[in-house]
Amino acid sequence: MKSQGKVAALFLLPYLLVFLVFRFGPSVAGLFIGFMKWNIVGDAQFAGLANFKKLFNDPIFWVSFKNTLLFLLLTLPPLIVFSLLMAVLLNQKLRFRNAVRTISIIPYVLIPAVVGIIWNWLYDNNFGILNYYLKLIGLGPIEWLTSEKWALFSIALVTVWSYLGYNMILYLAGLQDISADLYEAAKIDGATGAQAFMRITLPMLKPITSMVITLTLVNTIQIFDQIFVMTNGGPGTATLTLVQYLYGTAFQNYNLGYGSVLGIATLVILIVFVQIQSRLLKLDD
Amino acid sequence: MKLKNILIYIVMAFIGVLFLFPLLWSAISSLKPEAEIMNYPPKWIADFTLINYKSVLAQYPYTGWMMNSLIITVLSTLFVLALTTPAAYAFGRLNFKGKKVIFTLIVSMLLIPIQAYIVPLFLLVSELKLLNTFAALILVAGANVISVYILTSFFKGIPNELEEAARIDGCKDFGIFWKVMLPLTKPAVSTVTILMFISNWNNFLWPMIAIRANALKPLTVGIAQFMGGANSTAQFQYGTSLAAACMAIIPSVIVFLSLQRYFVEGITNSGIKG
Repeated sequence: MKSQGKVAALFLLPYLLVFLVFRFGPSVAGLFIGFMKWNIVGDAQFAGLANFKKLFNDPIFWVSFKNTLLFLLLTLPPLIVFSLLMAVLLNQKLRFRNAVRTISIIPYVLIPAVVGIIWNWLYDNNFGILNYYLKLIGLGPIEWLTSEKWALFSIALVTVWSYLGYNMILYLAGLQDISADLYEAAKIDGATGAQAFMRITLPMLKPITSMVITLTLVNTIQIFDQIFVMTNGGPGTATLTLVQYLYGTAFQNYNLGYGSVLGIATLVILIVFVQIQSRLLKLDD
Repeated sequence: MKLKNILIYIVMAFIGVLFLFPLLWSAISSLKPEAEIMNYPPKWIADFTLINYKSVLAQYPYTGWMMNSLIITVLSTLFVLALTTPAAYAFGRLNFKGKKVIFTLIVSMLLIPIQAYIVPLFLLVSELKLLNTFAALILVAGANVISVYILTSFFKGIPNELEEAARIDGCKDFGIFWKVMLPLTKPAVSTVTILMFISNWNNFLWPMIAIRANALKPLTVGIAQFMGGANSTAQFQYGTSLAAACMAIIPSVIVFLSLQRYFVEGITNSGIKG
């Protein structure tokens, strides 16, 4: 086929220009700024690996690193397991299933700060309705957002609440791509529902699961708004994630070089997790 | 069989309650005067009043924030479509050198979270003297990757026969794009539109960094002031913050419900096909 380079260039250039300037350029520059000592007022000075060394000796970095990992571990399993179960349930021909599907995606489309405000109210130590119900069944009260023990868990719970419907939609699409013949054949062979789920549904959904995990990691590692609104990293450093720390470092203390290194650290964690999931899911073959 | 059905509907009801209850309880609380909100035990019925809503509208430039959000979101969405539709057409339908490399480069950016480049982005935008302007948000929104990805796979899926027929009728490249391809893209463009609308409407971190002037803030950043975050200036009250939150739910839900079908397709397409 003949090359249509000139036409293609005309179609591509406007986008490429904006993409290179506002996305690709900054992404590459992020790496370089990491090697700079740069406060917003002064000029940038080359600092070699100083920012990276500082990272390893910075106790707050390690706290935020630990919090970020913990946050991923708290949100990822429920976001995969429950969304899959919800999708399997709502894939059946049931009355009201469309209504329930719709309702479960609504949290995802809400402004995260709005979600934060709503949950702060539910979580209120003294007047919150969650502690009220806990008390009715003889439990609690839990200091949801004000105790170091619970704060990160409480925010993870809100994140799960926000993203479950979104993941469910992905799984629903995957379920609808599985041929009904497979289930028919299994039924004829005398397989129970549970067996069909384990032997047909789960293996067939593997590519989707891999994608859902990747998207969930990309989404949750970036969560900033909710934490910012609900606890702003506190109490103490209990909910200080990497992204939270980055914001404080770069845009409140104006240490841009170090902030950039924290951004790179976030990216590295994300890549490591995505790699782990792709290895794990392939090992099962 | 019957017991199983009952169980299924109980689970479904539970799921519905799980997602609706926080919204419903917040809406009810926002309609109570501050003293009632703090009443214990909590009551579902009270002397409902709009006082919290009135005080939000009186004390904050709330309608201004909403207008800012609307302007930013509409312009960003249009800008994304204007840039990415032709680009996706080139990737999906045209032959040129380096196509695969450029496309891979673009799509690989999907994995890089904004945090990894937000510092350089800030420096760039401040160098361009664009801080505190809507342009800072709209230009950055234009560098969107997911819409290129979705639209490219859509263009790839259009059968060649249509294009060949148009060429025989004497259509040139631009004619094919305008007269043949664009009319076909309605479903994919609708999908991208709703995805862009929601993501720009909900955008927070970058607007908070790029826009410091209170009058220019979008709703997301304005609303964050109602809680104990770093920018909080308000004397904290549940009534006003819940009212501010509930008013923001309305446009999100209306847009979502009216374009729901495309939204679901969008989520699906953005991940699975392609």
